[in-house]
Amino acid sequence: MSDKEKQQRKEKRVVKVPSNGRGKDTTGRTKDSISTVSYIDELGHHDDNARLAPTMENTYQMGPYKRFPANAATDILKDVLTSYLQEEKYEVEWSQKMTKTLCEVIRARVKELMIPRYKIVILVHIGQLTGQSMQISSRCLWDASNDTFASYSFKNSSLFGMATVYAVYFE
Amino acid sequence: MDYQIEEEAGFVVEDVSTIIKESVEATIGGNAYQHNRVNQWTTSIVEQCLSQLSKLGKPFKYIITCVIMQKNGAGMQTASTCFWDNSTDGSCTVRWENKSVYCIVSVFGLAI
Repeated sequence: MSDKEKQQRKEKRVVKVPSNGRGKDTTGRTKDSISTVSYIDELGHHDDNARLAPTMENTYQMGPYKRFPANAATDILKDVLTSYLQEEKYEVEWSQKMTKTLCEVIRARVKELMIPRYKIVILVHIGQLTGQSMQISSRCLWDASNDTFASYSFKNSSLFGMATVYAVYFE
Repeated sequence: MDYQIEEEAGFVVEDVSTIIKESVEATIGGNAYQHNRVNQWTTSIVEQCLSQLSKLGKPFKYIITCVIMQKNGAGMQTASTCFWDNSTDGSCTVRWENKSVYCIVSVFGLAI
């Protein structure tokens, strides 16, 4: 990374139902379906930040010096999910806090790996097992040689937990 | 020096959410949950979103996740956290439901 760059790296936590008023929700209704859109909005600073996106200088670096280790990430996910969810039972408030906690914990552990120039996105799903069926899938538009992901899912008698971490190289 | 034409920087949520809603409506619209088709639905929603987003022509890498769940009275929580550059990157989540299906689509856009 060039010394002359001023990069604003901030950590942002996105929650599905915003509880601190910083997220925004809009609801739309059609004939027999309802949809809700949520996103993070920087109160009042959104426009400024968008225009002040820093212009980067060339680093003349063709690719990452150190690749993101997907195996290590899978181990972290497995470790965190098993230790936090092993003997737990699904309860609404508890699982709301637990998904956020798990996200934070996983993010801290992945950052400890200290892989430079990688942006990280972490997704955690915790759900109750009542015999329902569900499908989770994802697709990415990225550079397959540099970017990668890792995921792990855990199940006990009353709940399931799934965690995914995506690592995207910042050129 | 960056010789790119001045264009709207940052992740534009409205465009992205419109694309997602259209793609979900088109794929599962008025359908009830069917286990043997759900794999095809998630794939189709995600791929449609991705191709529409790439047509926007913005310098972004995208991550799209889709969860389809049968309505059974079960509870589910999802959270995500990101380590990125706030001024250029963003995300958008759309929760859609009809009588028998919940569908949650999240799009993360990371600037190159």
